[in-house]
Amino acid sequence: MKNPLIPFKAVITDIKLETTDIRTYSLLLRDAVYKTKPGQFNMVGYPGVGEAPISLSSVVCENRFQHTIKAVGRVTKFIERLREGDELFLRGPYGSSWPLESTIGKDILLIAGGLGIAPMRPVIQEILTKRNSFGNVTLIYGTRRPDTLLFKNELDVWRKDAMVLLAVDEVTPCTIWAYHVGLVTELLDKVSFNVEKTFAFICGPEIMMRFISRGLFLRGFLPSRVYVSLERRMKCGIGQCGHCQHGSKFVCKDGPVFLYKEVSRFPDSLL
Amino acid sequence: MSGSGMTGVHGFREFNVLISKDVFFSCIDTLRPEYKVFGPVRDGNQTVFKEISSSADLFMDYSTTMLSPGKMFIYKPKEDMLKFRDDGTLSVAEVMTGVEKQVIVGIHPCDISAIFYLDRTFLGEFVDPFYKARRENTILIALNCMQVSENCFCSSVGTGPHLHIQSGYDVLLTDLGEDYLAEIKSEKGFEVFRVKGQETGPNEWSLKSEKEKSLLKSFKKIIDTRGLDELLMKNLDHPVWATTADERCLSCSNCVMVCPTCFCYNIVDEMSMDLKEITRFRQLDACQDLRFAEVHGGNFRSTRASRLRQFVIHNLNYTSQYGVTKTVGCGRCITWCPTNIDLTEMAKEVQRSRTY
Repeated sequence: MKNPLIPFKAVITDIKLETTDIRTYSLLLRDAVYKTKPGQFNMVGYPGVGEAPISLSSVVCENRFQHTIKAVGRVTKFIERLREGDELFLRGPYGSSWPLESTIGKDILLIAGGLGIAPMRPVIQEILTKRNSFGNVTLIYGTRRPDTLLFKNELDVWRKDAMVLLAVDEVTPCTIWAYHVGLVTELLDKVSFNVEKTFAFICGPEIMMRFISRGLFLRGFLPSRVYVSLERRMKCGIGQCGHCQHGSKFVCKDGPVFLYKEVSRFPDSLL
Repeated sequence: MSGSGMTGVHGFREFNVLISKDVFFSCIDTLRPEYKVFGPVRDGNQTVFKEISSSADLFMDYSTTMLSPGKMFIYKPKEDMLKFRDDGTLSVAEVMTGVEKQVIVGIHPCDISAIFYLDRTFLGEFVDPFYKARRENTILIALNCMQVSENCFCSSVGTGPHLHIQSGYDVLLTDLGEDYLAEIKSEKGFEVFRVKGQETGPNEWSLKSEKEKSLLKSFKKIIDTRGLDELLMKNLDHPVWATTADERCLSCSNCVMVCPTCFCYNIVDEMSMDLKEITRFRQLDACQDLRFAEVHGGNFRSTRASRLRQFVIHNLNYTSQYGVTKTVGCGRCITWCPTNIDLTEMAKEVQRSRTY
């Protein structure tokens, strides 16, 4: 019987520096056929160091995909020291995905805060490749400062096919910033939605997802159309180790993408 | 039932025999060496489940044990999962070894129910190969309780003192003095108990049911679980969590370690001294530990109150996780709490202050 905890190797084909401590790793899986859906994650790690749950930040194309990783913990700081040609050990893909199938022909509102743009990027890529299948697409993306903005060189491409609204919490002196300064929630007023046909996908800090979701409900969004992606500590990724236990859910296998209403008012959460 | 796939051949029809205790124990002695045999053994003033070399070691009249057999011999407290070897390139080597056949004798109804709960975690959507192999190679001989301990509340959650689930284990014993009433529940159970017993008559069954009735009267700890799910979720800010946690909880994790259904584990990588081999193992972990729910930039359960609440609510609520309550009413978390925290008392405090 196959052990679901056996990792496979993927080689790092490219590393792109996004900010001082965030890098996008392009990976190639040689041995197996690998398919994912936008919003899923891998347990990424290295033997002797450990594993961490990391969302895919791209769609998979011919076994090539990307992870955008901030070096903050033991595993991610180890990964930061790897170079092109080195290998990573992965398990996955795990978890639920953004329900893109149900949004065909509908409008989509994507809202990302900080590194929350990473699990949103495969959605954007998927939408852009099948642009005619969807109605209006809006991306609201907030980050701390202009220099922490991720995927900078892709924003213009996204703008061709979607409305992109940016916000930062603060602008450092001598920085040019032509967009909003303040909370992402404030940008909700700059967009008009047809709540009858709009789905919202939200990923970011829980406090942000809480206020965005409530803001959307106040504007008439249906609870059955507002999705969030949660973050929790995970060791197994397969609903056994219990670290991601959230109310009656396992974030790893029941999530990470949930309807907001499925996970609101749970203990130990801001939603 | 969760364990239904475990009983072997389809179409097995359970049957019942009356076996004298002497015959039963000599039958246990014939099981070795083909099977490893585990059972309750007296150790100082406690009873513990351990491997026996003779049925004479068994102490079947035990009240309760500190650790449950399911979390010792089927779901192991520590398990090597993988090895990585570095021979120039790092490669994965599996560590799955042949699993020995084993028999666990004298498991109380609460602990059998606890194994069914572990089945839901490890034989669910993702199957754990280690657990599955041990589960399939283990014969479970259950024993209906003869006494009720101070902290038992199985009668309140439907798991005891007699076992009423019909499958997922192999034999159910009821002590009738000189004899055991043995209910053979599976082909595997039949294989190991090819003994001649007497047929059972109405006397034995009425004796059994009288024993259960009289036991049911002696429970001191009773909890009303009706509506508890919703009530606890509505009372996440009830003062009982913070007060109990701040005044008494030590975050020592005893409750989790002795709980027969707490399944959480941590995964650890250990490197050999020559740096050539890495063993990835798992071991029991506890939601009472400060770092259990920590992520970068925050900790979802940084307060003791939130961790205690997690333990209590997971045990008494969250039935929507697997459709059953996690607690099996064994009372171990109460018995082994150094400051006598009692989850049934906490739930009752919430129930008492119900405002509607």
